[in-house]
Parts: sequence; structure tokens; C-alpha cells
Amino acid sequence: MPLPVLVVDDSAMARKMLIKSLPASWDVDISQAENGIQALEQYRAGKAAVMFLDLTMPDMDGYQVLETLRREELNTFVIVVSADLQPKAQERVRALGAIAFVTKPVTPEKLLPILKEYGLYE
Amino acid sequence: MNEDLCLSEDQRDALQEVANIGMGQAGSALARLLDTFVALSVPRIQLVRVTELGKALADMVGSSCPVTAVRQSFQCDIRGEAIVIYGQEGTNQLWDLMGYEPADEPDAAAERELLVDVANVLVGACICNVFEQLGRSLSFSRPTVIGENVPVEYLMQPSALPWKVALLVEVNFSLRDRQFTSHLLTLMPEDSIRQMKRALDHFLASL
Repeated sequence: MPLPVLVVDDSAMARKMLIKSLPASWDVDISQAENGIQALEQYRAGKAAVMFLDLTMPDMDGYQVLETLRREELNTFVIVVSADLQPKAQERVRALGAIAFVTKPVTPEKLLPILKEYGLYE
Repeated sequence: MNEDLCLSEDQRDALQEVANIGMGQAGSALARLLDTFVALSVPRIQLVRVTELGKALADMVGSSCPVTAVRQSFQCDIRGEAIVIYGQEGTNQLWDLMGYEPADEPDAAAERELLVDVANVLVGACICNVFEQLGRSLSFSRPTVIGENVPVEYLMQPSALPWKVALLVEVNFSLRDRQFTSHLLTLMPEDSIRQMKRALDHFLASL
């Protein structure tokens, strides 16, 4: 069964770039969300075994999504994808339960080691 | 307003995303400079008549307090103005964050120099990165202070800008535990908006 993967970013272009950077042979069912509220809806609908999450978004940002997931003890592999380069941003999202932090612009080379490390893609 | 100056949905989205990445570079530079965490905003994009620019700036800055601003022109095949706006407390906060003793009462010249230096860092990191993503390298004029403790509407008098329409892109940087926010605005005139639209189309086609 394909793995449900959710791509969350307010930019359609950023979502497209991320989806193009995923391994071509990865058996996934991709959904998209434009903000944190939509992301949580899609998560609750079972669309996010893996979530690629932007941080700066209108109508609930990535930090708030991570806080909600943690507070409600929800379980998904969250990979944060952000233009924020600050080490403190990385520390903060990891403390909130994200498994990894990828800086924009995203490339296949940045994603592949993370997917392999967590056994999400062989 | 001329139809051909309006950005398509794809162009606007692409510009917002390249601005977001540029802002990340500038935020990181500011964080290193001040040794603190900088919160980033969602970039805002607006096409405005220059006669209404004052009001647009006031809406974006969202404050009736006096501001101090630094302006720097940039140029490649696209040209424009970059403006960094600091709130009233900005100067004191920066002075403190840079690790200067409050006792070292800053004189006006030293304060101005600090504001100009920080503006230069933000503009250099953000705007250079945006245009680099679009395959361009820029040249800059020297940064100059264009207003000290003045209402934001007074910063850009229509007479100081010989354009009819400007594309306004705004990002801001704030420090959570301080009363500090600075806005980085870029303004581009009509011919550059058309050129920017072409650059964005080219960029989108290359993805």
C-alpha cells in the first residue's frame, strides 16, 4: 500500500519543488496543504504518515502544527522544510518532535539520507 | 493601473517563495550579528500607485510611532529601492544587543552608523539572495538614512520617486523577547516589474 505523504507549504511552487525532489520510485500517496489548519485536517483524515512541513505560513504556522501534534500525542514523521537557517530554529523543531530539518531550496540530495535513515525509503 | 503590471498567481507565488528564502538568509545573518533568535514573517507583495505608497507603507509597518529608515538602491536589468524601517525603540534595542554598555551613551553619528550597518546586512543578504535565485547579480548604491523619527508616511514622498506604480515586497524580522521589529521593503518601478515578471516566468519554467 502506498505511504500517505503530506506536503505542507503556503507556496504552490515550494510544494512542487518538494514533490519533484522525492525519489521517483517511492511508493507514496501525496496530499497537499496550504497552512497548518489544513495540515491537521489532512493528518486526521489519515493522509500523513510522513509530513513535510514549512514553518512560516499564514493561518497556523509550522511551529503551531508541531505543538498541536505533540499536545494531542499524534504520531507522524515530521520533516521540517524551511528557509530559516538559524540553528535555534532547528533545535526548536526537534524539541517539538520533528525528525529532521531541511533548508530551502530543497533538493533530492538533502531528502534522501533522511528518508533512508528512518527506513521510510529503501 | 496597467493590466500588464499585475503578477499572475504563479508569478506572485514564486516571488513570495524566493523572498521567503532570501529572508531566511537575512534572518540568519541578523541572528549571528545580534546573537539572538529572529522570528521571520510571511513575505507580503502588493502593487501600489506611488501616490498611495505612504498609506501602503503605514499599513505594512502597522504603527503610528515615528520610524527611522535606511535606503539603498539596487540594480541589474531590474532596478529598485530597498528600504529598512526601524521602530522607535529599534536604535536603543540594537545598541544594547550589540553588547555596548548603556553607559556608552551613543552619539547621533554612532547610532546612525549602526542602523546603516544593520540595514546593509539585511539588504545584502536578502536581496542578493533573491536575485541570485533568479540568476542575477546586483550592484548597490551606498546606504543612506532617509528619515529619523518621522511618521512612516513621510518616508517616501511621491516626488522623491519618479514612478507611477511600484511593486512592493515586504518581509520583517522580530525578536520575540524584545520590542524590536525591522521591516525590509523593496520597491520596483514599472519597467522593472515587467522584467521581474519575465524573470519569474523563466525561473518557474526551469523548475
